Amino acid sequence: MGKVRKTISLLIGGIQCGLGVLASVFAYLVYADSWMRGLLAVTSEELYISMFLLLVFGIFSVFSGLLLVNKER
Amino acid sequence: MAEEHLKRELGLLQATMMGLGGAICAGVFVTLGYAASLAGTALLIAMILCGIINLFTMLSYAELGAAIPSAGGEYTFAKASFGGFISFVTGWFEWISNMFYAAFSAVGFAYMVSYAIQASKMPLIASVSVIAVVTVVVFTIINIKGVKETGRTETALVVVLLGILGVFTFWGLLTGQRTGPLQLSAPGDFLGLLRASAFIFVVYLGGEAIAVAQAEIKDPGRTIPRAILLTSLALIAIYTSVAYVVFRIVPPEELAVKESPLAYVAEQFMGPLGVGIVTVAGSIAALSSVNTAIMAQSRVSYALARDGYFPRVFFKIHKDFGTPCLAIVAGAVLIAATAATGVVNFVAYATDFGFIVGFIFVNLSLIRLRMRKPNLRRPFRVPLYPLPPVLGIVTSALLMLFIEPSTLLIGIELFILGLIVYCIRMVRYYRICLAVGGMNFGVSGFCALLAFIIVSDPLAISMPHPMALVSLGAAVFVSLAYFIAGLLSITEDKGR
Repeated sequence: MGKVRKTISLLIGGIQCGLGVLASVFAYLVYADSWMRGLLAVTSEELYISMFLLLVFGIFSVFSGLLLVNKER
Repeated sequence: MAEEHLKRELGLLQATMMGLGGAICAGVFVTLGYAASLAGTALLIAMILCGIINLFTMLSYAELGAAIPSAGGEYTFAKASFGGFISFVTGWFEWISNMFYAAFSAVGFAYMVSYAIQASKMPLIASVSVIAVVTVVVFTIINIKGVKETGRTETALVVVLLGILGVFTFWGLLTGQRTGPLQLSAPGDFLGLLRASAFIFVVYLGGEAIAVAQAEIKDPGRTIPRAILLTSLALIAIYTSVAYVVFRIVPPEELAVKESPLAYVAEQFMGPLGVGIVTVAGSIAALSSVNTAIMAQSRVSYALARDGYFPRVFFKIHKDFGTPCLAIVAGAVLIAATAATGVVNFVAYATDFGFIVGFIFVNLSLIRLRMRKPNLRRPFRVPLYPLPPVLGIVTSALLMLFIEPSTLLIGIELFILGLIVYCIRMVRYYRICLAVGGMNFGVSGFCALLAFIIVSDPLAISMPHPMALVSLGAAVFVSLAYFIAGLLSITEDKGR
């Protein structure tokens, strides 16, 4: 049971870290790339709140992922 | 590990140069134009006013630095007088603002270099981000090598910078195109003068780097107050004389529309050589700020690690170089990452907020420490106490009212981030797991709701069918992953 739990924890932790990094990179792309903003139909009024939400999600995901990985080490 | 491992190798000259180098940043070369449009030639008064406001707080730095010469500057003062969360917040803002200041200066330097390369019609071999990152790497290596090397580099940079500003000032005075005395006039009246003061005050920030490096300054009881006071007075003299020369050559209304007002003024009486000289001076100012800020951020994180707020590894001193190399490298990685994004506005706002918060807490620390520890040995005492620290608090708080609203917003966000870091370090591990588990369930529930909306009412989210399918898949995947993560976070492995 312990080994299965450890494997799942490492896998889910890794996925969360990956999603967090992706969300942070995405936040930067939304800020820096006007093409990306056009694709997602993000207006200039919505820009900072979109970035904020993506960054909060990103930071939380990375933190949660690291916590899971660290817990099972 | 005792703090004596940091070597006391900086003398009065190097400490003063560190203060000057920290304060004279590239911002001086670009902020004059807008400030002149607000205050006219009365900007000279605003310059002196800001210098005096800065001096109030610098006196507090001098007293506290001489009395408690441990690494960490504002953080150490706040810890001695308040302790707990207040000291952490002070250190947190100090660390963040120094990191952002280094990133801001590195980006400023990179812009100047790329501008100079383009102006000379040479091919630009690297982007602004790459130049900024390389700059951070170079100064990180210098900082790791030792505080003596950092001090020498800073002294060399600041001596060249002061030399250039000296040439600019004397040449400008000798060849001033206007005759007769300068008439002081403020187009925006007193309010304009105040707004200009709030805007221009940033050029005085950074001199407190001396306090951050106080654990490495020889004979701290004598050297720290002298270096801080010399820096504060020299800054008033330098800025006021530069502004005086500027207004003798060019009227303020002409400066407002110039991107680089100092270079424009230099061109008027020195020709193309003037533009070159001012660009070099701006680059050196940016470099010296990068050097000082990298050193300052590492000493703050070193002090925070000493007290258990930051990971213990930041407290390690390199046995050969005598520097907190891991603290330097960790901060440098964040600085390089910030510089690489080139998000200059955000970085500048965060820097201003952090420094002003630091000013308020240093003055508060002085007052509290005088009340709580009246017999503490103080090699230097603030004259006319309690007037200077009270005025320092009031003027810093007033500055908060005049700064951009977005600066306050960013400051609040940084405060929340600091609060999270504090909770992580101070709250027990199991409770953190519970909280994170709960948040994971929240994210999972939100994504499940999103998936349900996509399935039940596709019209509610107006997107093409393939895009809706991808979104549905992503929502289900994230919902499941975060649900499992939530379960794993709140449960313990019974077999262990």
